[in-house]
Amino acid sequence: MPSHRTQMKIVGEILSTTMDTDSQDGTNITHLIRMANISHGRISTILGNLVSQGLLEQVDSKRSCKYKISSSGKEFLLAYKTFREFSEDFGLTI
Amino acid sequence: MEFLFEIVLNLIGFSVGVIIGVISYIGFKNTGSPTLFRLTIAFFAIGIGFGVLALGYIIDDAITHTGDINRGITTIGIAIQTIGYWFIAFSHTIKTFFPKSKYLRSVGVLPLFLVSFASVEHVIRAVSFILLVYGSIETMLSYLQGRKKSTLFVAVGLGLLGLGEFVSWYSFVFPESILYAISIVIKIGGLTSLGIPISRIPLQKVKFDPELKDDST
Repeated sequence: MPSHRTQMKIVGEILSTTMDTDSQDGTNITHLIRMANISHGRISTILGNLVSQGLLEQVDSKRSCKYKISSSGKEFLLAYKTFREFSEDFGLTI
Repeated sequence: MEFLFEIVLNLIGFSVGVIIGVISYIGFKNTGSPTLFRLTIAFFAIGIGFGVLALGYIIDDAITHTGDINRGITTIGIAIQTIGYWFIAFSHTIKTFFPKSKYLRSVGVLPLFLVSFASVEHVIRAVSFILLVYGSIETMLSYLQGRKKSTLFVAVGLGLLGLGEFVSWYSFVFPESILYAISIVIKIGGLTSLGIPISRIPLQKVKFDPELKDDST
């Protein structure tokens, strides 16, 4: 049975994707949608929140909107991965 | 001597519970995760519950000299621990039965265990036992899915805490026996087993960032 993904897990996947493809150009939204397996409407809201919280940086691009992980985002991702393990040790999801 | 033994064991329980609670709190502050928030409450409650019991023994040993811990303090200590066990069981309930409930994920239902002392202590111990067995079974099921050794330690830890509750409940039948001390030893074993996963957390790498906001609800 497929398990329900929490908002936190989706945020973790988005940040991981931007981290994995970390470059000056940033990651475009289509790639994020594909990697995080989420609808355009939903990811737009989440990306807006992440940018407003300083975890992602919006990169100006001629063709499309791109996103790059910030230093705060990297710290958050590290904490997320650490405490995801911690929660899983208790048989729970973060 | 028996008092000293119980004071030391309850203080160990207090320490282990508070340490896991603090780590969960750091995790909550860094990620804003409701799961970690519930674990924070759970382990602070378990630690404080042990602390209250230790305090009760210390007060009787140093001040009142009645030779037995005050029944009201025992009930309060166990009730606080039960709240902790309830939050662990509650987290498993959400994961299993209400994975999409935003209300339950964010708010949490306040435990309704506020009842008068008298012989309620027995009822609370029974509730604790049920909650711990439930939490242990759910964690064991998680272990069977993921096969993580540290999850097995947590499942065994919760199981030992449940067994400790059962034995301590039985100590009412044989009040002068060593059963209560044995129950505390089993509980400490359970808390130690629960504490094993936290030894792997590289906390020095995790910075405390108060600016991070919770948007997980």
